[in-house]
Amino acid sequence: MNEFLQVASLSDLPQGQTLCVEIDGREVLLCHTAEGVYAVDNLCSHADARLCDGKLKGQKILCPLHGAAFDVRDGSALTRPAITPIASHSVTVDDDAILVALTD
Amino acid sequence: MTEKTAAPGSARAPGHTVASTLADDTRQVPPPLMEQSFEFLGDEDIPCSRYTSRAFADLETERLWGRSWQWACREEHLQDVGDNYVYNIGPYSIIVIRSEEDNIQAFINSCSHRGTKLLGGEGAGYSPQLTCPFHGWTWNIKGELESLPAKWDFPHASAETHGLHPVKTELWGGFVFFNLDPNAKPLADYMDVMPEHFSHFPLEQRRIRVHVQKILPANWKASQEAFMEAYHNFETHNAPNGANTQYDVFGKYVSRFIHNIGNYSPESLSDYPGDKWRDPPLTENELLQMLSIFGLDHDEVPAGETARSIAAEDLRRRIGKGLGVDLSAVSDCMMLDSIEYHLFPNMFFFPGITVPMVYRFRPNGDDVDSCIFDLMILEPLPEGAEHPEPPEPEKLSVEQSYTESEALSWLAPVYDEDTGNLDLQQQGFKTSRKPGITLGNYQESRIRRVHMTLDEFLQE
Repeated sequence: MNEFLQVASLSDLPQGQTLCVEIDGREVLLCHTAEGVYAVDNLCSHADARLCDGKLKGQKILCPLHGAAFDVRDGSALTRPAITPIASHSVTVDDDAILVALTD
Repeated sequence: MTEKTAAPGSARAPGHTVASTLADDTRQVPPPLMEQSFEFLGDEDIPCSRYTSRAFADLETERLWGRSWQWACREEHLQDVGDNYVYNIGPYSIIVIRSEEDNIQAFINSCSHRGTKLLGGEGAGYSPQLTCPFHGWTWNIKGELESLPAKWDFPHASAETHGLHPVKTELWGGFVFFNLDPNAKPLADYMDVMPEHFSHFPLEQRRIRVHVQKILPANWKASQEAFMEAYHNFETHNAPNGANTQYDVFGKYVSRFIHNIGNYSPESLSDYPGDKWRDPPLTENELLQMLSIFGLDHDEVPAGETARSIAAEDLRRRIGKGLGVDLSAVSDCMMLDSIEYHLFPNMFFFPGITVPMVYRFRPNGDDVDSCIFDLMILEPLPEGAEHPEPPEPEKLSVEQSYTESEALSWLAPVYDEDTGNLDLQQQGFKTSRKPGITLGNYQESRIRRVHMTLDEFLQE
């Protein structure tokens, strides 16, 4: 696993919201759900739509193109047309700092 | 036996009635709960084949599910423009969508190009437009065709000819209803007394606290019928109260029971086997003990109170504080009782506070022998409060127990008991040499009413 990098402040990411950040040239979507902050790849595994243009509902991020849902906690694909999971990254929150370590 | 000489359907269990309990309420009872409406509907057997036959289920698909008003979701599932909800009933699938701030529309979930479902699965989603995953035809959320790749090849397809197929919708009580029949009469024509009654207990002002969706191993009708009478309480739940339950049939589409909680009549069990709860009868303290599952402050009934009055008082304070809602003027009946309205064909609404459920039973795909049971707990919302985002349904398989849903708390074992006989009943329909089931003239009258109205739909 890569090292944890500070990518955002918790104060910039209220619960229920998402924030797209770039880490090493890769877009990562931070999702603040009732269960905590999670990070997944920002691109849908089906047709590469940017998930930051979609919507966070509960623990699901919904793709703006076909409505495919992914579980933000582990990146698993929940509904068609997406079949392949999206990468999920490790997150820690230290006071106001959100730190992410890319999984690969 | 005196029942034989009385007019059929006129006999009742001995002992006090729901009406007499409501008359002793410590608060004013909402007038609709004082209404009574019952007439004898017949005593012929109901054929078992209605629960087991493929042909009968197919007829229901076409003439019942294709033509009756049903709710798909709550308005709170569709808070923002673009929020959608996919709902499936038998072979049919619809997309309900908030197309404008103050407008909800529904469409058949099928591409007007080559038929593909636009959205898979079921439940809440979001999409600023609808794009078919097959060839990419795209509609806006009002169902208008916006674009299609290689338009040059489709001079015969346009916004006029290839919009999404609209489905009728209406809103009631915070629920989004739909009807697949474009010629359907308004929802109100199928609601009998419900709009008037529920003006006293508005369900709009509630939120989904819990949603559990379980597969049950019986036909949708047999499954819902397990919830339409309290006659089973003695045997299924090992509970003393049930025999005095009041049953009302308000018309073709709406029926109700009121089942008092926290009291019972020992006399009502006079022809039940054994002396249990009859001799000696339960004391008020023992009755209060039974209510302790609700979480009460008292464990003894103070002088001058009853188990019912003190439990209602504890719950007014406890639930009111928990929800931030003033319940001080709410009747004992509304606080405690199981008040269950049934709306044809498959929907149940409970206006009570401690027992605040909504049920829906529908076929599980095309399987005649199983159904999907949606169970929601609808909690009162403080005045002016926004609806929070509703929870995702917890899904339980046939094999799983309701106790696996922590949110159901004390209700979980009760639902396990309620649904525990269904597999045996569905199997029993098939081995029975008696062609039909027999219904009680009063306690099971609501079941008969549903079958009578169902016949009207199927024969039309």
